This record gives sequence, structure tokens and C-alpha cells, in this order.
Amino acid sequence: MLPLSLLSAAQNKPMLVELKNGETFNGHLVNCDNFMNITLREVYQTSADGDRFWKLKECYIRGSTIKYLRVPDQLLDVVKEDQLRAREANRTTRGGPPGRGGRGAPPRGRGAPRAAPRGGGRGRGRG
Amino acid sequence: MSSLQGYVDHRVLLVLQDGRSIVGVLAGFDQKANVVLSDSKERVYSLEEGVEEIPLGLYLVKGDMIVLIGEIDDAVDSSVDLSTIRAEPIPPIRY
Amino acid sequence: MLIFSVFKTLTDQQVTVELKNDLSITGVLKSVDQFLNIRLDSITVLDEARHPHMMAVKNCFIRGSVVRYVQLPAEHVDTQLLEDATRRGKMH
Repeated sequence: MLPLSLLSAAQNKPMLVELKNGETFNGHLVNCDNFMNITLREVYQTSADGDRFWKLKECYIRGSTIKYLRVPDQLLDVVKEDQLRAREANRTTRGGPPGRGGRGAPPRGRGAPRAAPRGGGRGRGRG
Repeated sequence: MSSLQGYVDHRVLLVLQDGRSIVGVLAGFDQKANVVLSDSKERVYSLEEGVEEIPLGLYLVKGDMIVLIGEIDDAVDSSVDLSTIRAEPIPPIRY
Repeated sequence: MLIFSVFKTLTDQQVTVELKNDLSITGVLKSVDQFLNIRLDSITVLDEARHPHMMAVKNCFIRGSVVRYVQLPAEHVDTQLLEDATRRGKMH
């Protein structure tokens, strides 16, 4: 499972973010990108020494300044299920009965699997 | 980076640049060695008292922060009584 | 890239890696990648009494950027070849 899939599944979920300078941010994830830049809403910011607090309506955090993120435990199962479902959908849309791709339909042939957009159906294995 | 693949679904020890040690199950990783740990716990070492384990749950750690990822031998690990271990924390990275 | 090639020739040899947090880890070099990330097997930590943190760890992945030194087995490094390659600016 890719770290970024977990992060994007965490949208609208509460999380704790610690920066490399030790500051922490508690809030709900609004959005994220491939650099792990994120926006949070309803944020509680805590200074590195832990004795000062700020409340922010919304904030943007540059991905490169992040040390780690803590997300709700349940997300792991959500992402795993999503991947299973995506893989399943991938298989059924590839056409024909679920048995072995290839050979079968000449017009589709090779190119077909590539077209499937998401979820890295091919390599990688695992999940 | 393919060398992390063998650790997926195994319990691992993560040593971070700030000196923290975290144990958890490696749920995933990517090209930049960002990692996802499930059921993770921080192990806090001190000379005054035994090792304290603090539950952290599901964690996403940035690759930049990682020093080392070690595969834990569960048999060895469970035979150790952490409360008897006294040690300095691992020092932070200094460039 | 040259050093990457050198490390590749040293797989299955025993090396000692000193990290920038002063930890020294000895083990069998299993693999290395283009960032000089290192995989070690059968590891031992120098001064294990002081560093019991890795007692239950027998193999590990080390991030290249935190390595300070790698002690290499002298007999397995062809320094002549290395010098020549360095002058040429590439290997192979």
C-alpha cells in the first residue's frame, strides 16, 4: 500500500502532523498532493516545547517540512478494501470471463490493461 | 528501494533522525522511502527506568526522517523484558 | 555512480557502517541502490550493551544519507582498478 493512497483516503478525517521543527498540528485533512503538501481545517497548532497553542481556521503545510502524520487506525482497512475492490473492478472490466487475459480478443490485445487508469493493477503486487 | 519489499507485513524497528525508535508492522512504502506503519508504538529508552512503550497507531513517516528500518525477530523480541532494559536513547543525526 | 558499482562488487562481503548518529553496525552487505541505501544481513551493533535497541533486529535497511563511513574489506577492493576508473571518470 502506498503512503500517498493512505493520505488521500484520509480526506476529511482527523490527523496529527508533526513537523521537522517539532511543532504539531491537529486538524481535519482538506486536501493533499503528491508532494504531501496538505491543507488542514479547524487546526490546533502546538509549539515544539508543547507550552504554546494556537487555533487556526485553516492552514497549508509544505510536504517537505513534515516529519510524520498520525491517522485514524480504521483507515488502513478502508484503503485495503478500496484496493481489493479496485482490483476486482479492473479484472471484470477487462472483458470476457474472469479466466486469463491475453489470447482471447484480438482487437483489445495488449494495449487494454494499460488503459485502466488507477490502482496500479499490474506490478507491485501486495497491497 | 525494492529492498524494503521483503519487510512488508513484517514487524519492523524504525529509527528516526531525531533519535526516536518506533516499532510497528510495515504496511507500505514508496520510492522516497516514505513508510506506513500500523499498530505502531514508540519505545522510549532511558537510563533511569525501563523502556516505556507508547501506542501511536497508524503512522505515515516521511522518508527524509528515516535512518534505519530493521526487521524484528519476534521470537527474540518477545523474549526480552523491556522493563529491565536501561539504555540511553539513540542520539539524533548530526551532520 | 562509480561508488555504486564498487558497492555492488562487495555484495555478500562483511562491512561495518558508521552512521551519523554514531551507531556502528556490522553485517553482510546484501544490496545497495543508486542512493547508496544499504541492506545488511546478520547484523551486530558495536557496543551492544550501550545500544540494546536493535537486539531483535537481524537484518536492516539503512538510508544512504545517514551513512558517515563504510569500512570495506581491503582484500576485496581492487584499488588499482578503482584509481584507473576514477581517472577515466567512469567504470565499465
